[in-house]
Amino acid sequence: MLIYIARRIAMAISVLLVALVATFLLFFAGPADPAQSMCGELRCSQQKLEDIRHSMRLDRPVPEQFAEYFKGLFVGRDIIQSGSIKECSAPCLGYSFRSQREVKGAILARFPTTATLALMAMSIFLTIGVSTGVLAARRRGTGLDRFVVGFTQVFGAIPYYIVALLFALYLTVLNPVLPRAANISSGVGPWLVGLIAPAIVLGLVTSTGYVRYTRSSMVDTLAQDYVRTARSKGISEIRVVYKHALRAAISPVVTILGLDMAALLSGTLITEQIFSVDGVGRLTIQSLFQDDLPVIMGAVLISAFLVVTMNLVVDIAYSFVDPRVRLG
Amino acid sequence: MSLGQGTSSELASLTVDGDPTEPDGSAEGTDRQHGRSPSQIAWDRLKGDKIAIISFGTVVFFVLVAVFAPLLVKLEGEVLNQYHSDLISALNTYPIIGANTEHWFGVEPRTGRDLFAVWAYGARPSLIIGFTAATLSTIVGITLGLLAGYLGGKVDKVIGWTIDLLLSLPLLVVVLAVVPVIQQRFTPVGETLTAEQKSGIRFYVLIAILVFFGWIGLARLIRGEVFSLREREFVQAAKVIGVKTRHILFKEILPNLVGPIIVSASIAVPAYITYEATLSYLGAGLVEPTPSWGRTVSNAQNAYARYPLFLWPPVLSIASLVLALTMLGEAIRDAFDPNTRR
Repeated sequence: MLIYIARRIAMAISVLLVALVATFLLFFAGPADPAQSMCGELRCSQQKLEDIRHSMRLDRPVPEQFAEYFKGLFVGRDIIQSGSIKECSAPCLGYSFRSQREVKGAILARFPTTATLALMAMSIFLTIGVSTGVLAARRRGTGLDRFVVGFTQVFGAIPYYIVALLFALYLTVLNPVLPRAANISSGVGPWLVGLIAPAIVLGLVTSTGYVRYTRSSMVDTLAQDYVRTARSKGISEIRVVYKHALRAAISPVVTILGLDMAALLSGTLITEQIFSVDGVGRLTIQSLFQDDLPVIMGAVLISAFLVVTMNLVVDIAYSFVDPRVRLG
Repeated sequence: MSLGQGTSSELASLTVDGDPTEPDGSAEGTDRQHGRSPSQIAWDRLKGDKIAIISFGTVVFFVLVAVFAPLLVKLEGEVLNQYHSDLISALNTYPIIGANTEHWFGVEPRTGRDLFAVWAYGARPSLIIGFTAATLSTIVGITLGLLAGYLGGKVDKVIGWTIDLLLSLPLLVVVLAVVPVIQQRFTPVGETLTAEQKSGIRFYVLIAILVFFGWIGLARLIRGEVFSLREREFVQAAKVIGVKTRHILFKEILPNLVGPIIVSASIAVPAYITYEATLSYLGAGLVEPTPSWGRTVSNAQNAYARYPLFLWPPVLSIASLVLALTMLGEAIRDAFDPNTRR
């Protein structure tokens, strides 16, 4: 068991390290030119461009830049930017080229918004997904079941951004049934209320998947011998379904939930962009269009870290919970 | 194999209801349908499936629109990307006309381009990117899956590790970041590209990226199947009589995997079309002047309230095309699955 866990952790670390090197090479050794995009339409002189590059410390060899970045991640580093020395403690993700803020701080400041949105959406898709899935499984083969399966299939197949966009355009802008997103600086109330619309869309669309997983897992479980035993003992149907069957049926759903949450927490890109929610995802998109390399790097790294960690936790948890999982 | 690697789409395949009276798994054995290949059985079932036929009809409609786009636009009496500034109100940049016999979907606010022409040509990139990327990622997925599953050992480890790596990257962010980077790579130093060249490069970049991330699902599926197939008697027998590895892989093992491969490819097409539209909407996909439904949607979102004709044709087209392809994919999956009964 210990060997399995150790091997699994080593693998996760190796994946993260390569992801780090790959993204660094992609962005910093790639042809993206933050100095140029900073000059924008103004057309800086060659000298000015060189100055900006130098102040961003982009004029040094790539391995040197990488070594510094890598060191910063683990022990922190001092960053010289526009003449002054700024301290950046571990894990240091550098300073934004644009806002001159520390990347870690910028992402952390956006994180509550993304996390709240993710949690609100999660409570919607778990409630609706699991309860509808259980209902459909219990009424398997009836008209209701067929309707649920058909509806989730159709609704889930329409591209997400179209659903979200139409919802945003027609229900928050044209007919403001639901309030539009607000920045947290305009007060907690408007900020929280503004997250309802995106959470509903994200939650509803995601729930279609959960309905199907829960339904299929529940259909299998309800056919098991122990469920028949429980029924024949005279236990009430509600108890059989929710106490005996659902507990067993829910574990694959929890696995997917773990991975989905990792993805949601690292930024719900499309949702945030369409509803103008100031979360991590929107920050990432903005940085992409501004060639703000440190911020993009930070967002990708955090996201990869979340996904790999969640994967690891789910795998190890499974090997404890389910003795049938072969340890390879 | 660790369980945690399962993705949502994979677990969706659990939806099929197990029928306890059916002998496990294989499609070959039922007496009624003796002597016919699984593909033939699937084909017959598909022909009787109403949803599959309607979906197929929808897909054919869009393929025809894409193929005959020049003809359709000529029929309308228009040319792609011709700017009718005379039809644009100088006051508020909205068109002064709606849909009429000369401009079937009206003209674009601000520029005055004919929207029907933009729509008809816009079907092309979606379909070409969707089908090309699906074909290529299927080929890559089959090859790597077969290699990992049959050779095992180090090859399997390397491929498995690569899959873990690719899965750990946030796909959308990486794609958004990579598209301009690769575009720059293909730009000669000191030159600026024309809009057409840029769009052309974007086109191939999109396909390449979709293939790069798209082979994973199928490769894992094939790997798992090959693991069990390679221990079966017919493979052992082929090995014993000295059949070449390549022959065993492609002539003995692969024919048994036709079902999952077709299913996976048919599900990949709508997924890729969605990606193209989403990326074009977010600004990392195709650029002007190449028409793309995704970008029309993005352009239209500021003018939709006064000029819904701008937004709705591409929105309905993407939605119905992707929906039809997905339904067709599900129908094909059902047709290949011996456990579903109609």
